[in-house]
Amino acid sequence: MKKFGFSYRRRAEEQLADQLNDHLQETLDASEDALFSFADFDAESAERTGYSDYSYWGSTLRAFFQNKAAVFFLVVMLAVLLFTFVQPMLPGQKDPLEIHTNAWGLPLNNVPPGTDGFLLGTNAIGQDLWSRIWAGTRTSLFIGFCVALVEAVIGILVGILWGYVRKLDFFFTELYNVLDNIPQTLLLILISYVLKPGVSTIIFALCLTGWLGMARFIRNQIIIIRDRDYNLASRCLGISTGRIMFKNLLPYLVSVITMRIALAIPAAIGNEVFVTYIGIGLPLDTPSLGNLINTGRSLMTMSSLRYQLFFPVTVLAVITISFYIIGNAFADAADPRNHVK
Amino acid sequence: MSDTPKKLVQIQNLSVDLGTRRHPFRAVDNVSFDIYRGETFGLVGESGSGKTTIGRSIIRIHPTTQGEILFDGKKINGRISRALDREVTSRIQMIFQDPMSSLNERAKVDYIVSEGLYARGHRVPEAQRRQKVAQALQDVGLLPEFASRFPHEFSGGQRQRIGIARSLIVEPDFIIADEPISALDVSIRAQVLNLLSDLQKKRDLTYLFIAHDLSVVRFICDRIAVIRKGKLVELAESEELFRHPLHPYTQALLSAIPQPDPIAEREKQLLVYDPACHGYSETNLPQWEEVCPGHFVLGSQRELEAYRRQLAQTQ
Amino acid sequence: MYNPDSPAILSIADLHVKFTLRGQTLHALRGICLDVYQGESLAIVGESGSGKSVLVKTVMGLLDANGSVTGGSVCYDGRELTQYKTDRDWMQIRGKEIAMVFQDPMTSLNPLKTIGAQVREAVERHQGLKGEAAYRAVLEALADVGIDDPERRYKQYPHEFSGGMRQRVVIAIAIACRPRILICDEPTTALDVTIQAQILQLIRQMQKKYDLTTIYITHDLGVVANVADRIAVMYAGDIVEIGTCDEVFYDPKHPYTWALLSSLPQLGVKSQPLYSIAGTPPNLFQEIRGDAFAPRNPKALKIDFVKRPPMFQVTPTHKARTWLLDPRAPKVDCPKNIRLLRQKGGKHHV
Repeated sequence: MKKFGFSYRRRAEEQLADQLNDHLQETLDASEDALFSFADFDAESAERTGYSDYSYWGSTLRAFFQNKAAVFFLVVMLAVLLFTFVQPMLPGQKDPLEIHTNAWGLPLNNVPPGTDGFLLGTNAIGQDLWSRIWAGTRTSLFIGFCVALVEAVIGILVGILWGYVRKLDFFFTELYNVLDNIPQTLLLILISYVLKPGVSTIIFALCLTGWLGMARFIRNQIIIIRDRDYNLASRCLGISTGRIMFKNLLPYLVSVITMRIALAIPAAIGNEVFVTYIGIGLPLDTPSLGNLINTGRSLMTMSSLRYQLFFPVTVLAVITISFYIIGNAFADAADPRNHVK
Repeated sequence: MSDTPKKLVQIQNLSVDLGTRRHPFRAVDNVSFDIYRGETFGLVGESGSGKTTIGRSIIRIHPTTQGEILFDGKKINGRISRALDREVTSRIQMIFQDPMSSLNERAKVDYIVSEGLYARGHRVPEAQRRQKVAQALQDVGLLPEFASRFPHEFSGGQRQRIGIARSLIVEPDFIIADEPISALDVSIRAQVLNLLSDLQKKRDLTYLFIAHDLSVVRFICDRIAVIRKGKLVELAESEELFRHPLHPYTQALLSAIPQPDPIAEREKQLLVYDPACHGYSETNLPQWEEVCPGHFVLGSQRELEAYRRQLAQTQ
Repeated sequence: MYNPDSPAILSIADLHVKFTLRGQTLHALRGICLDVYQGESLAIVGESGSGKSVLVKTVMGLLDANGSVTGGSVCYDGRELTQYKTDRDWMQIRGKEIAMVFQDPMTSLNPLKTIGAQVREAVERHQGLKGEAAYRAVLEALADVGIDDPERRYKQYPHEFSGGMRQRVVIAIAIACRPRILICDEPTTALDVTIQAQILQLIRQMQKKYDLTTIYITHDLGVVANVADRIAVMYAGDIVEIGTCDEVFYDPKHPYTWALLSSLPQLGVKSQPLYSIAGTPPNLFQEIRGDAFAPRNPKALKIDFVKRPPMFQVTPTHKARTWLLDPRAPKVDCPKNIRLLRQKGGKHHV
């Protein structure tokens, strides 16, 4: 009974639907003829056709996050950064400068990783390698960021003036030619002899020649966009040079500047390592990746002590690779030609 | 225009050299003409003829080599006082050719249109600035809500109108329009041309309209000058130039205008200009002379005689 | 030459092309049906964004990576071009059968190679000549397109040529491939009016001499009166009117064609404003209901906003996609200044 009733209901529903459709079709056909009359024309609404909702930064971020490798390394980098700051506050962390001794007063040197509560072992004089590595990472990252920032600020200011103000072009080009030919190594050695070795000395020394590259790069970019019509228009309107530099030129360069800063950080850290190799780096009581690697290098030949080189090198490699990949991925993402997917 | 029209811009024996000091290239060679207040003066020539250079020299983007540019009787080329420079900036403005590169992509339309108000001497309070922007956008036929958008959201024609709004906001007297419609689709050109016409009537503007297309220029200009390789070859009122083109180069330009009439086009003979047809030499140099009131031509004495006779016959 | 009874060498049927752009889909071509006949000169006219460049790029297989054919067919000489996926397939068509001349002569040529070397490449590849014979053929090709002193020009680089000369070289390279179809994508838009006229004349000469079929893309209806046998008008990814040159100029039926013709400055009257089309072309990201031109058409009917008009036949060679040709529609005649044009040439028009 129910089945019969159900199918009856279904048939009735279908019949009703068909009737409704036919009626609708009739109304449409009938009204179609009525549609053959003039519609109201609104010139303003013709103007309102929305064109595109393209947002430069939105597309840049979207393109960046589509790059899986870049996102992965970004996460790794953020994790490393976070951990370097958080690490001293964790329970059970040892002081990086403390020389640990055993029950008989002898220093616990060259303890292999994982024994006696030393997560990564100790170095030749009994200091905890784990805390030294994180302290060293903090120092090196600090140096890297400071150098990159100072280079950027000086480099951008000089670069913009160099590229935009035609009268200064000759002066700056000659200055660049002179300064660029001074060997960076000699300069670093000289400064280390004159000033006391320390974090601020290294930052000062690395900044001294580092800004040249950024200035030249910015100058080349400025020359490309300097004579575009929109800049000429601003000049015709009597806009001051400063305003043109900040409102017309700099916004176009933000993506390339960010990329260069991202690549300058590992470059500065690498420089610090190199400087330590040639003996003018930070003193041992300020741990840095440079002197950790340097110390480890001298112990490389003994297989049982190789861990002292391996761990700091791994940290350096992770930082360098991360920044390079993030920097390059961001540069690609910021190129408007890649904003199509 | 009432009684005798006043000369707003006078170009006298202007020459402009481009290139380096060792290899100068004479882009503009001894050009003279006047622009009267309230008229639209057309300057027509091919690429490389020097027309853009003249426009840019007037607005002081290019330095000049010889000759004078007078604006309202005052010399405005070369070194001038800061006060005069500021006057030039607020009274002379320019509209650029390429709508894609003439707007700052990273700034909102609001900033772009009101850019002129950030210059010294034009500063206004924020509320007034916003009101001026809305008014300027409406004057060019755009909706005030467009102020918060970025240039890339607009089409070529709309961008060109934003550029026009930008140049109008400082209330100039004289506008140099450097090929304002060449980069636009033909169907959009009409919008911009009508707008320029309208604005001229409403605000009593004077235009220098630079173009390479005579058909457009005929429609909007009162007087037209034809320039070739840095030298003016003919100058006359628009209709006079179209009815009686004297110089062979002008005739070639006219024959090159495409007609939207298939039968006429098929029957048309294309004239090609050959500079050798004049037979100029060291002893036979061309002069710039008035052959008929308001109608100037470049030609040797023999040619000028022939032109005068030609015009007399048609009278 | 153009013969209406000659076979169609290129048949496009109900072609749909879509682009994925920042996560959204752009419907660039919405059902194009077009036949190109052997030996004719077809002009495709439309504003920027109408899809005319996308159409020829689809035919050549040069669509950007984010574009794809989502429906319809492109049949060339019996071969289905939408099936071609790899470059190797396309190598049989590009250059050899269908050659293309692009808009910007500055970027069409390799700035690091001499002109002679670039033309020679095409000659050697497509005409099979080598050595001295190839050199002679290059000189002939350069002279053919109106370049004086070809021996001296052979050794010069593109930057030593003016825009018009460069475009002539590009045409020479295209012709050297001895194609059957020559597609010119806005070849004169970047050039001055005098050079434009000369290049148009040149293309016409080349077409006659080598018995080519030409497809000419432009946004300027005024330019095609001289070059085209047939004209197709495109708007928002669709062909809205197609007919012989005389039919489209002297008896246009679609309001968009009227608008295009009216806005030409050559037809303007001095003291009155030029006719201009209000608004901007539609956003192709969105679904278009009815006639795409309706929002900008002062003579739009209500049904233009509801249902897409079918192609109505005006003459065996003339079709237009507008509800105004439906018998139920009110009689609307084209604007006055176009009617005058018809009367001027009217004595020739049957």
